[in-house]
Amino acid sequence: MAENGGELSPEVLFQLGPLQITSTVLTTIGIVVGIALAAGLLTRHLRDQPGPVQTAAETAVLAMEDAIRAVAPDHVRLLLPFVGGLWIFLVVANLIGLIPGLHSPTRDLSATSALAILVFLSVHWFGIRSQGLRSYLRHYVTPNPILLPFHLLSEVTRTVALAVRLFGNMMSLEMAALLVLLVAGFLAPIPILMLHIVEALVQAYIFGMLALIYVAGGLQLQELKQTKTQGESHE
Amino acid sequence: MELNWTTFLLEIINFLVLVWLLKRFFYKPLQAAIARRQAAIDQRIEKARKMEEDAQQLQQQYEKDLAALERERELAREQLQREISDERKKQEQELAASLQKKREQAAVVEQRQARELQRQQQQTALEQGSRFASRLLQEGAGPELQTRLQALLLDSLREIPAEQLARWQDRLGADGDTVEVVSAFPLEADSRGQITQALQRALQRDVHCHFAEDSGLIAGLRINMGPWVLGTNVRDELDGFARLERETVRDG
Repeated sequence: MAENGGELSPEVLFQLGPLQITSTVLTTIGIVVGIALAAGLLTRHLRDQPGPVQTAAETAVLAMEDAIRAVAPDHVRLLLPFVGGLWIFLVVANLIGLIPGLHSPTRDLSATSALAILVFLSVHWFGIRSQGLRSYLRHYVTPNPILLPFHLLSEVTRTVALAVRLFGNMMSLEMAALLVLLVAGFLAPIPILMLHIVEALVQAYIFGMLALIYVAGGLQLQELKQTKTQGESHE
Repeated sequence: MELNWTTFLLEIINFLVLVWLLKRFFYKPLQAAIARRQAAIDQRIEKARKMEEDAQQLQQQYEKDLAALERERELAREQLQREISDERKKQEQELAASLQKKREQAAVVEQRQARELQRQQQQTALEQGSRFASRLLQEGAGPELQTRLQALLLDSLREIPAEQLARWQDRLGADGDTVEVVSAFPLEADSRGQITQALQRALQRDVHCHFAEDSGLIAGLRINMGPWVLGTNVRDELDGFARLERETVRDG
């Protein structure tokens, strides 16, 4: 049974048993399929002398690697799939709202919360994977166990901020566009479209970069502790 | 603005699937292609570096060869300059010797020309003097001069050495006793007698004198005794003077 949540709310298209399939989910699935098909087609016939499309793809990958290398030089290959996936998905997801009849999945708090939770989990996943559970959890009680609540609060708030920032910006963007269209009709579509494009790219970059910084912070925190421990043992 | 848990879960799954798909079908092939190209570029760079090293070695070898050639050329040039200098000195010496020789030859020629000129001038002066004296004597000649010359002749007959006189006597004995006396002007009888007596006294025999006249003598006498001629006249003196001139000029 479909449920219409209004212009600014995701629309429930149908229900599969207990699962409510919203327009956000369908759009996201479409985006995933489209990206996968595009990636498959693009990498199907890679050549040593690349054409324009291959050159653009390689340039994008190298740019993402450089950005990751600037923050976490030793974990480029480890972090590229996750952080690069965030960037690619968010760019497409933010820009897909420009297509008439479609809405950006990122204007749905459920989608941005899911991405924020993934970032939250990936920070711990990469940290535990690199140093082990006990060593990773120890940093919450160092240098003093009294800092544990602050650490936990920080984890929650930054994850919430990550989700709400993206949701709020994309929601407000669509709302502003809707209001401008209501007030000015179709007299000012081009500036609004330009604003939408810039905002979509900026928000994708910010979300991906923050995720990268959080994950790299967890990794380097472990490395810093390890380095300090080794230094003390040498002394 | 409500949280839909189904959407939340499906978004997580969707994104994880997307990450896997991208890693499998996008990043890995592209990274492999980039790595292959990078390896090829590195290989080409290495090849280029090796070629550059080879080129540098060749350049160094070339510069070394060039330096050797330059040294060799300098040596050859120095040797050539030495040879040229030696040859120049040799030719200068030969030229100097040749010039000296030519200068000497020129000096000799100049001296010869000067002598010739001097001789010609002397000859001309003597000829002019001879002509002048001959003309002067011809103008001033006369019986008085002949008389004085006759007196000189008679004095000279007395001073002739005995050996000479003996030879005359022998010769006259073979050819007869006729002596020819030639005068420029006609002789008086007493003059003829004085001459005859003087000859007889000198030759110590009788002498038959045949007197003749020859105005070419200008003034004075000429006595012909066979091959001997005894003269005291202007013509013979002028001829003797002219001979003396020629001999003087020839010897000078």
